Amino acid sequence: MVRKPRPVFLELARIHMPIGAWTSMGHRVSGVVLAASVLVAVYLLGLSLRDEAGFVQVTTLFGQTTFKSAVVVVVWATFHHVLAGMRHLLSDFGIGSPLRVARRSAWFVNLAGLFLALLAAGVLW
Amino acid sequence: MSKRFTGLKAWWVQRVSAVYMLCFVLFLLVSFALHPLQTYPRWHAWMARPSTSAAFMVFFVALLGHMWVGLRDVLLDYARPAGLRRVLLAAVAFGLLGLVLWLLWILLRLQA
Amino acid sequence: MKLSISRYNPERDVKPYLQDYEIELIPTDHMLLDVLLRLKAQDNTLSFRKSCREGVCGSDAMNINGRNGLACITRTSELREPVVIRPLPGFPIIRDLFVDMTQFFNQYHSVTPYLVAPEPPPARERLQSPAERDKLNGAYECILCACCTSQCPSYWWNPDKFVGPAGLIQAYRFIFDSRDGATQQRLDDLDSDPYRLFRCRTIMNCAEVCPKGLEPVQAIERIRLKIAGMRDQVGGLDVHPPKSPR
Repeated sequence: MVRKPRPVFLELARIHMPIGAWTSMGHRVSGVVLAASVLVAVYLLGLSLRDEAGFVQVTTLFGQTTFKSAVVVVVWATFHHVLAGMRHLLSDFGIGSPLRVARRSAWFVNLAGLFLALLAAGVLW
Repeated sequence: MSKRFTGLKAWWVQRVSAVYMLCFVLFLLVSFALHPLQTYPRWHAWMARPSTSAAFMVFFVALLGHMWVGLRDVLLDYARPAGLRRVLLAAVAFGLLGLVLWLLWILLRLQA
Repeated sequence: MKLSISRYNPERDVKPYLQDYEIELIPTDHMLLDVLLRLKAQDNTLSFRKSCREGVCGSDAMNINGRNGLACITRTSELREPVVIRPLPGFPIIRDLFVDMTQFFNQYHSVTPYLVAPEPPPARERLQSPAERDKLNGAYECILCACCTSQCPSYWWNPDKFVGPAGLIQAYRFIFDSRDGATQQRLDDLDSDPYRLFRCRTIMNCAEVCPKGLEPVQAIERIRLKIAGMRDQVGGLDVHPPKSPR
């Protein structure tokens, strides 16, 4: 007699996610966003160095709204990824690893990333 | 392939490349702030300098190593079954190699 | 008190569902387990594990309002209503709140959770200084309740390959025990593939929910540093006042 497979409770929306979990999710998402943007960045680098026309094309891109919105997302991704990464590096070596300290640094990373992205949005617009 | 690239080696690559990239980017930002390169001739000349091109290449290798470890982590976590995971890992590896060659071509073209 | 408890009878139900209960609290209903036991008197088909009723056996670990905890030390006065009780996330459900702990215990067994006598044996006792004994603080207190492991996303994605926070804090307890003779083998085993230890992303859900206030994430950090050949840190692991489900 074959027993049917046992169900598992894994409704992520119903499971409590502490602040560190959000930092970690953001770290992963921002990493993937950055990986995709590296492709675009290499293309733009090549274009800007090809000739004068290419250079102008790249500089005018920075004036377009859709591109600017993408840049803001990439700026958020960069700041969050770097700050969360630095938090990881420090805790790897024992700095800031107790839970209470780690919660505060998680809040800092999450908010700083958003704040800096909004700052970039302010600067670009 | 994954057995040889154990957890520890990957962890070191990710950390060391991160530290190098951080230093390099800070250095870049300071340089751009002090010497803005707003015209094509100046941009081209600066990038074509052997020291700049070499430094960029090293940065890019660090970036690709870091990307490889990170994307591999994502695939190791989520990609199933094992066969599909191996295919995806190989695809990412080839993609990253392609990126390195592309950048090498862009930088060498400057010397022409 | 209003509760919504996950029910599942494999012989009758296709999948788990939430059943609503309502019960008048009496003065002795200090902890959630007290309420559950009285509920069972009303509806004796409700199934859950329990034993010591004082937070040391780990049997009644369950997901309470989204957060894993032990029902016997979760105060009823602090709970948001309706209290939603579900089985531990990621573990196969046998019935109602009973989960299959087999894989969890397999991971525990896989880290060789017993001292391996070094050769040759000492002439008399196996001595351990107070400083060496301190290293085990914050790890030996683990009661294997599985609250941490079932709240760890890395464990959810790969329960068969990632040892999990509980297994790893137990691995720490033996790696850093000065009386153990198999330290290098233990470290090699955890680095033998990219899954056993290195799936840990330092998400820290484990430390957040441990009912004993332990921090498996820190144990994992220290094992990683030891694998990398760095000097051991002095003293035991940090312990914090545990936060119950609300």
